[in-house]
Amino acid sequence: MHISEGVLSAPVLLAGAVLSLSGLAIGLRKIRNEDIPKVAVLSSAFFVASLIHIPVGPTSAHLVLNGLVGMLLGWSAFPAIFVGLALQAVLFQFGGLTTLGVNTFSMAMPGVLSYYIFRKMIHKGENTAFIGGFLGGALAILLGTIFISIALIETEKSFVGVAATLLTMHLPIAFIEGIITGFVLIYLKKVKPEALG
Amino acid sequence: MKRSFNSNNFLFVVLIIFFIQILAIFISATANAHKVSAYAYREGDKVIGECYFVDGSPCKNSVVEIYDSKGKKILQTTTDEKGKFNFKTQETGELKIVIPAGEGHRAEYRIEAVERLAKKEIKKQIKKQTPQINRDEIKQIIDEAMDAKLQGIRNEILDLRKQMDKINIRDIIGGVGYIFGVWGLIMLIKRRKNAS
Repeated sequence: MHISEGVLSAPVLLAGAVLSLSGLAIGLRKIRNEDIPKVAVLSSAFFVASLIHIPVGPTSAHLVLNGLVGMLLGWSAFPAIFVGLALQAVLFQFGGLTTLGVNTFSMAMPGVLSYYIFRKMIHKGENTAFIGGFLGGALAILLGTIFISIALIETEKSFVGVAATLLTMHLPIAFIEGIITGFVLIYLKKVKPEALG
Repeated sequence: MKRSFNSNNFLFVVLIIFFIQILAIFISATANAHKVSAYAYREGDKVIGECYFVDGSPCKNSVVEIYDSKGKKILQTTTDEKGKFNFKTQETGELKIVIPAGEGHRAEYRIEAVERLAKKEIKKQIKKQTPQINRDEIKQIIDEAMDAKLQGIRNEILDLRKQMDKINIRDIIGGVGYIFGVWGLIMLIKRRKNAS
């Protein structure tokens, strides 16, 4: 889910940039020094995840891991995802530098929302934590496709059309990421509970 | 947080990164990617091009829009099953080829301006005049011979471009390195601020 350079109009790009900047400001202020290694790891996980393509039917979509990043980092997901996206744009030409704002917001915000909705479940029993992680990971992907569709409203003919294609394309991804997020969370709960913050 | 970053944590970090990278390298080699690229060249008044994904697979049945140097849309065509497209144009200025692949993906390629187009009609006109070979006819013959010879090189250039667009392991490892560098800097700045 990357919007390429030259697809969006200036107002949409600007709106994305402003929203992302506010997210970045909040995120950077909330990071504690000792959390930074964790942020760096998740940042690189996000960076690499986009290279993992999962072929489903005629098309293929890639992992995003924005749910995992969001649920482990909260608002700090913004700087983590921003850095990941910036490097993807520079090194792989995924997305683009002008669309960085829009892409950052539509990937990071769903993660942050997942964090607030499901964070209580993470701290309960193992099963509840897994379900929380699954729902959080899946929701972040689905919300991400909706944010992307909103950004594309002007460019594409119908909002419902794009949203429907993106959603169906990403349903398997949402399922897979839900499972990944769930397992990572219960694993961290066992091995390194303080990482769940 | 009592511990900051001991060797145990470090091992954990390294393991996660290795795992993800190995996964990425294996899986991305087989599947479709999302970045779309385009390449095109002129051949007389024809423009021939191809559109493909990062992994080299063709971009089928995609709309191709052609803009002139002023940004006005002059033509529209579609790619075939192999991702190839061609069209005729009398436009000598710079051409911009845009392929909106949908869902926010887009490829762009510019073809440089030419002084004049190699004309295909010249032959007939000349035959009626004199049996002598004139400049235009020579040029015509050279153009045709060159086109035939350049075909191989053009295909090779296309293959090279496709390879360049592929993601290589160096970039992945380099990217992860940059990320750690960036976060190291942020940590340093934050620490300085706290200290002062």
